[in-house]
Amino acid sequence: MAVTGARGVTNEMLSAQPRKDVIRNTIFASLLFLAIALALAGLCVLIGKNLVEGWSRLNLDLITQNNSSNPAEAGLRNAIIGTIWIMAFVILMLVPLGVGAAVFLEEYGSRTSRITRLIEINIQNLAGVPSIIYGLLGLAFIARAPLSLGYTVLAAAMTLTLLVLPVVIIASREAIRAVPTSIREGSLALGATKWQTIRRQVLPAAIPGIATGVILAISRAIGETAPLIPLGAATFLTFTPSPTTDSFTAMPVTIFSWVKQPQPEFQTLAAAGVLLLIALLVVMNSFAIWLRNRYEQSW
Amino acid sequence: MASSGEGVRVHYQEELEQLETRALDGLDLVVSSLDRTVEAIRHQDIELAELVIADDDVIDGRYLEIHQSILTLLATQAPVATDLRLIAALLHVMKNIERMGDQCVNIAKLIPIAGHEPPADERMLRNLVTMGGAVRAEIRQAKRSFADRNVEMARDLVRQDDVVDNLNRDCFQLAIEIGDDHDRREWAMTMLLVARALERIGDNAVDVGEQVAFVVTGLFREFEDASHPGEPLIEPSASP
Amino acid sequence: MDDPVTQEERRTEERAAGGAGDGATAHASIEVRPGFQHAAPSASNEKVFELHDISVFYAGVPAVRDITMDVFRHHVTALIGPSGCGKSTLIRCLNRMNDLIPTARVEGELLYHGEDLYGPRVDPIQVRKLIGMVFQKPNPFPKSIYDNVAFGPRVLGMKDDMDDIVEGALHSAALWDEVKDRLGSNAYGMSGGQQQRLCIARCIAVQPDVILMDEPCSALDPISTGKIEDLMAQLKQEFSIVIVTHNMQQAARVSDRTAFLMVELDADERHRWGRIVEYDETEKIFTNPSNPRTEDYVTGKVG
Repeated sequence: MAVTGARGVTNEMLSAQPRKDVIRNTIFASLLFLAIALALAGLCVLIGKNLVEGWSRLNLDLITQNNSSNPAEAGLRNAIIGTIWIMAFVILMLVPLGVGAAVFLEEYGSRTSRITRLIEINIQNLAGVPSIIYGLLGLAFIARAPLSLGYTVLAAAMTLTLLVLPVVIIASREAIRAVPTSIREGSLALGATKWQTIRRQVLPAAIPGIATGVILAISRAIGETAPLIPLGAATFLTFTPSPTTDSFTAMPVTIFSWVKQPQPEFQTLAAAGVLLLIALLVVMNSFAIWLRNRYEQSW
Repeated sequence: MASSGEGVRVHYQEELEQLETRALDGLDLVVSSLDRTVEAIRHQDIELAELVIADDDVIDGRYLEIHQSILTLLATQAPVATDLRLIAALLHVMKNIERMGDQCVNIAKLIPIAGHEPPADERMLRNLVTMGGAVRAEIRQAKRSFADRNVEMARDLVRQDDVVDNLNRDCFQLAIEIGDDHDRREWAMTMLLVARALERIGDNAVDVGEQVAFVVTGLFREFEDASHPGEPLIEPSASP
Repeated sequence: MDDPVTQEERRTEERAAGGAGDGATAHASIEVRPGFQHAAPSASNEKVFELHDISVFYAGVPAVRDITMDVFRHHVTALIGPSGCGKSTLIRCLNRMNDLIPTARVEGELLYHGEDLYGPRVDPIQVRKLIGMVFQKPNPFPKSIYDNVAFGPRVLGMKDDMDDIVEGALHSAALWDEVKDRLGSNAYGMSGGQQQRLCIARCIAVQPDVILMDEPCSALDPISTGKIEDLMAQLKQEFSIVIVTHNMQQAARVSDRTAFLMVELDADERHRWGRIVEYDETEKIFTNPSNPRTEDYVTGKVG
């Protein structure tokens, strides 16, 4: 008798949940869901609208045909090649500069010195500067004197590198910082020099984080239109750009130019181009996430 | 006694103190056994002798109990330094206690041999009773010196034991004298064995004193080397 | 006039009641030697380290003061004491790991086989090759077992056959049989005890002279701890070992000599630093310590 009584009390204690708590939990969960839903809705509308509009031009012609004044013959081919050239140079410059700066700040910089703190603050500020400013900067010093590179792929690449450099520096620093001190100590205690430790232990362990940062930086740079315009990215180019040509174009710029055209066929093309760009970004970001998940080191 | 702790390992300290108390109380058990034994000698009382034999179980029981407690303490608390020496000393002391108890039993077993209304010699009996008293005092002093960790008091036991040894020699002389008398010869031999047993109890008390010195100084040595009685030990040269 | 026996006992009593002493010499007696065996009688008198008045300061604040002691070849030397007494600070002086802390300053003289370890022309890299270190938390590199052990020899440019070096080191660390079939697998897949033995193998691979161990077993279970303690008994035949441990029983089990450090406070109780209270053969420290503070610590009454 007493046992059932006791068990009954326990049962009550375990299963009792005031109605208030249940209601509160439900409301909170719903609000959070709503937030996500809104964000996704925006994206869905964007994709959906472009899908509907650009459907007819989503074919191989989009990427095999160069730009042309005739919408039926227009494609993104030279724009894509231009983008590829630009990104190639960006990666070439971005990785050594970004990783090098991060290594310097993390490993060789003194935590407390004023100069280091000054550099840190500046980098974080630079990450927030509007991209058009970078474009003007590139125009003033890179396209024109003193570098005088003109309106070329290289100039565009250098400008975009400067734009996304802070992102890479910050991400690389995080990755390097995540490598535990015990690893460094273990290496040094064996008689390795500081540089050997960085090159053979810290950097290899930080690569997944650094790679993720670089990919995210690139995916941002691909979509940048504003900085390329002051740099003279041609809105209309019929030939294939390369580092040797004295003008260039890129995907976002070409798409932008299509949007400005009066003919409705160009609008369709623009929608198709947008979809291509989004698809590219999704692929790149997914790759970055996969890379991070696969190689991330749990310390 | 052990120095008071600063609130650390209090349970262990208490355990140690209790163990020491229980062990040293064994000496009190020996004293009561000895008292009865000496009474039995004085009055040649066979029933009292049988009581002594029966009660030795208590002493043996105490020995086993302390022995087990020491093993447990060693295993669970891993005592070191002074605590360790104390434990080792207590093991020795318990052994001494057990032997002292056994000697009382030996004496008690000898009394019936003399038979009812034996041909006692007053001088011999007086000697034996005096020896019993001296040994009793030794045991009490041994207990006191251990409890107080008093090395001087422990060393004094040697002097006291010399008195007992002299009395033992006197008994020997008496026995030789009485030996001419045909009727009392057997009784005298038996009493000589009693004297010997009492002397052994005294030696055991001195051993307890030596354990006191070990606990305090960490040096394990005899107060007197049995092979060179009366000479103090020579100091060995210091090792480099 | 007392006989010599009483004199000796009186002297011992005085010493026991007396003040601090370090490096106390063994005093004369025929004390009974306890029966437990150390792996091999360490009769070596050759000194590996000589410390004279070593003090370490972090940003001007003292951590240890006036440490004077000798460490002997093929001995296991243990440093014990309560937390904060500077044992880790002291051991990190021996392979100049304190150099990595910008605010650290070492004063005094530290001789390694008679040479000043902090001399102007001494290369800390060489120091760390000769004097290796195993840390409290096992810290294998995120690489394969093979690459972990081979890392040291590779960065130091050792020319011998790498396979032989790795195998030899893993044998010496009593790990070979357990990992010989999976040398290419990631070190993080091993258990904690295995990882720590891997760190020991890694240390051995560069052929050091001394192995320093900073609480090597405190993160391990008792079985792994036991394996590593057995390992130390073997290793000391080839190397000299200095171990910091907060586990007194461990110090009693594995070491030949033990140094007991204690915390001292300055007058206004703002700063605390460590000092050696007693440094002697382990047997003596644990059966009959000279200093009452040592007695209080090892019996657990203090600290």
